[in-house]
Amino acid sequence: MAGLTEYIILASVLFGIGAIGFLTRRNALILFMCVEMMLNSVNLMLVAFSHFRADMAGQVMVLFIYAVAAAEVAVGLAILIALFRHVKDVDITKFHLLRW
Amino acid sequence: MDPYFLVFAIMALGAGVFTISARDALPSALGLLTVFIALSALYLHLHAPLIAIFQVTIYAGAILVLIVFVIMLLMSPGQTLRHLQKNLSYRIMGGILGASMIALLVIGLKGLSDMSRPRELPQGFGHPSQFGDLFFKDYLMHFEVASILLLVALIGAIYLAKRKA
Repeated sequence: MAGLTEYIILASVLFGIGAIGFLTRRNALILFMCVEMMLNSVNLMLVAFSHFRADMAGQVMVLFIYAVAAAEVAVGLAILIALFRHVKDVDITKFHLLRW
Repeated sequence: MDPYFLVFAIMALGAGVFTISARDALPSALGLLTVFIALSALYLHLHAPLIAIFQVTIYAGAILVLIVFVIMLLMSPGQTLRHLQKNLSYRIMGGILGASMIALLVIGLKGLSDMSRPRELPQGFGHPSQFGDLFFKDYLMHFEVASILLLVALIGAIYLAKRKA
């Protein structure tokens, strides 16, 4: 049985991979996927703590993160589609509506 | 080390690296799907069967299908984004920031693992009936707020996507 430390390390590294992807990639769709990966690593951490502290509240919290993630993806992809009508590209460096 | 944990941890990390390094968005989505499945297997191991099922149905079933649908909608076939990969300064700065973030998280959170002594799990821990008890009694208010959040997001998404440029 793997201990809590292993789960903490796994979730932290997964979060870091998502963060690196978010900072280095320029395709807006891949950025969304990186955000999803970071949210997932937080979920893993919550479930691991819930298990090792024998407290079900962590699992309930994961369900609320699912709701927020679903809302974020729906609104984010709608914004992306609206932006794509203007720019005809998913490269985030081409989006400079709010930039000087 | 537990072989079950090891297999799915390596699967999740490998698929995560593939997700951020794939050339195109569609292979990237496939890598993300693998991450979701591996994490779902780990949830089963942590006595969270309901969360494991939600992980597959909500994340792999709904959110990823939405992402793949938008990829299909926006990217014409054969269009690759190889030119987007060339920026070296992005990679160096992102790598340094991400690596320091990993170090910070591991160092900061490892201390928490000492204070959580592995207790005996109570009878029926992680059973859906216990989950429902907690969800619809202690967290009923939060549940209602989350449902309103989803409704508002739905209306906002439809408005944004239907609006003429």
